[in-house]
Amino acid sequence: MLSEHFGDPEARTLEGWEARGGYSALRKALGESRKDIIEEVKKSGLRGRGGAGFPTGVKWSFMPKDSGKQHYLLCNADESEPGTFKDRELMRWTPHQLIEGCLIGAYAIQASHCYIYIRGEFFEATQILARAIEEVYEAGYAGKDVLGSGHDLDITLHLGAGAYICGEETGLMSSLEGQRGEPRVKPPFPAVSGVFKKPTTINNVETLCAVPHIVNNGGEWYQQWGTEKSTGTKLFCVSGHVQRPGNYEVPMGFNFREFIYDVCGGPPDGRTIKAVIPGGSSVPIMSADELDVGMDYEAMISAGTMLGCGSVIVMDDTTDIVKQVRRMVDFYAHESCGQCTPCREGTAWAAKILRRIEDGWGTESDLDTLVEISENMTGKTICVLSDSAAAPITSSIEKFREDYLALIGAGTVETARSA
Amino acid sequence: MTNDDGKVRKIRPRNPGFAGITGEFDLTEAQIRGTDYVGARPLDGGHPSVAGTMPYQLTTRAPDLPLFEGEYLRRLEKVLSRYEDRRAALLPALHIVHEIRGYLPPEAMDEVAERLLLAPAYVRGVATFYTMYNLQPLGRFLIQVCTNISCNLCGADEVLREFLEQTGTEIGEISENGLWTVLEVECLGACGFPTAVQINERFFESVKAEDVPAILKRLEAEVPA
Ligand SMILES: Cc1cc2nc3c(=O)[nH]c(=O)nc-3n(C[C@H](O)[C@H](O)[C@H](O)COP(=O)(O)O)c2cc1C
Ligand code: SF4
Ligand code: FES
Repeated sequence: MLSEHFGDPEARTLEGWEARGGYSALRKALGESRKDIIEEVKKSGLRGRGGAGFPTGVKWSFMPKDSGKQHYLLCNADESEPGTFKDRELMRWTPHQLIEGCLIGAYAIQASHCYIYIRGEFFEATQILARAIEEVYEAGYAGKDVLGSGHDLDITLHLGAGAYICGEETGLMSSLEGQRGEPRVKPPFPAVSGVFKKPTTINNVETLCAVPHIVNNGGEWYQQWGTEKSTGTKLFCVSGHVQRPGNYEVPMGFNFREFIYDVCGGPPDGRTIKAVIPGGSSVPIMSADELDVGMDYEAMISAGTMLGCGSVIVMDDTTDIVKQVRRMVDFYAHESCGQCTPCREGTAWAAKILRRIEDGWGTESDLDTLVEISENMTGKTICVLSDSAAAPITSSIEKFREDYLALIGAGTVETARSA
Repeated sequence: MTNDDGKVRKIRPRNPGFAGITGEFDLTEAQIRGTDYVGARPLDGGHPSVAGTMPYQLTTRAPDLPLFEGEYLRRLEKVLSRYEDRRAALLPALHIVHEIRGYLPPEAMDEVAERLLLAPAYVRGVATFYTMYNLQPLGRFLIQVCTNISCNLCGADEVLREFLEQTGTEIGEISENGLWTVLEVECLGACGFPTAVQINERFFESVKAEDVPAILKRLEAEVPA
């Protein structure tokens, strides 16, 4: 559904998109009441694809009605969770799918302006989206009095400048306002006081891309895929040690083992899978024997991990787990905005200790220290970046303790850089 | 295929992932990158809705060009018209400086502060928060190699080493011929096609260490004599 037109350059253009049924959902939506659209999205069961999986229709219904204030819709296109590369494909192949979703979403929450916050590195996707937005303005799908409906719907493309934390919803708002991308304490929640202190809703690219399909075909239609509580299809980004990496759209609840071995071709020849991260670097690692789970929010949680944004990172038996965990924690240490002490200090120290272990100069008590640091980093901070950094540490120590122990006492003079 | 509960569980999965410029699609590089669709964007930014999205890192630099005059001023004014608060134009304004100068010189940041009625120290505080703003001059080509997990699993360290070796630089230095600066960066959002390398505004994907010389040669050929 979402990825149907990937690889088809004609689908990018407005003409090509209209020929494929594009903007019929917008026309339909503008003829319906806002309440009905929100109800339909609620009925579909669509859940946020940015990581948290919050029901989109419910989120929209938090927005005040007829508040008399300006409302805003923000589209989160900051995609920077390591392992994730789905939003970029959606934007570069089907920019109009996203724009249509943004326009419908903005109408539904009474926002007359939608900002698409796209990460600065995505130059090609940005240019494609920019051209597509110019096209919709020319065609009258955006701007004043859209399609004679009496509603104004503006879209502005806003470029980030390289900071993972700007993907966090309140960090994104700070950044859009021209500040350092520092997350804010909630409450107030965005629906009450968001960007420019106005009621705001923020949705991921993939979430908004699903909206036109739901408006066109109805919420029930969307439920035909997936499980009871995780409906629809989702893009999964597969990377690492796997035969056929890339983006795959599969129904929620698909068997994870089957997905990795059959759909993605399994590990490279002659190797076996050691570990898999199912939802981007922020979720707990799974070992190879835990893969018989459904790819949906609930099943992943009962398996002790999370679906996150669906970024599957596969690691085979040649992988140095300690090095990779250290690399992930380095990332979080670099990207921590520094407001909260447990996060700022915790990520930095954990990275240092992991480096020491990697170099063979760690001790067994370092593992206890790491677990303790991770505990202090969880549930104590403004945003969940801190929890995200702790997830790979604790889960890898729990599941791959031998990998850590094997390195202890292995230090040599050459590796004494940080000891 | 349906399950007991009557719900469809399986559809034919497709892998439409972008496979770098060599790709699994029978498409030209321009079609994959979308450059044939986008065409040339005007210096004044085009429609106000997208005026803040020009390339932040050009191969040519203009050390003396006035920052906010003519087309660039028009672009900034378009950007300003899209926000209810002047300050929101700060990132786009810094992008303009970066595009023209290739980095953010201190006096240019002061000029941005003046334009947007902000304190110079505030502008610096914001500029230093974001990694895409470089505060020092760079080589003509900024080579950013992702070494985050997915790329790392597939040999990013060797790719980085090869770039450093072939350009004869250490991380962050400008090569002697002024062409290259190599940096190690975090995930570029192209993890299925390791190693991902961003060179100025362009992505190169599925880069292996042995591809490095050809990439450098291709870029060198783009420099006007
Ligand atoms: C540190 C951090 C980084 C995040 N990065 C992204 C991101 O790059 N893209 C995204 O869509 N959501 C990201 N999120 C999730 C957003 O905060 C937010 O939940 C999401 O944009 C809501 O949209 P949805 O309801 O459509 O999922 C991030 C969250 C955190 C804590
Ligand atoms: S948890 Fe970390 S990234 Fe999030 S606000 Fe606190 S310091 Fe910043
Ligand atoms: S890990 Fe290299 S691009 Fe994502």
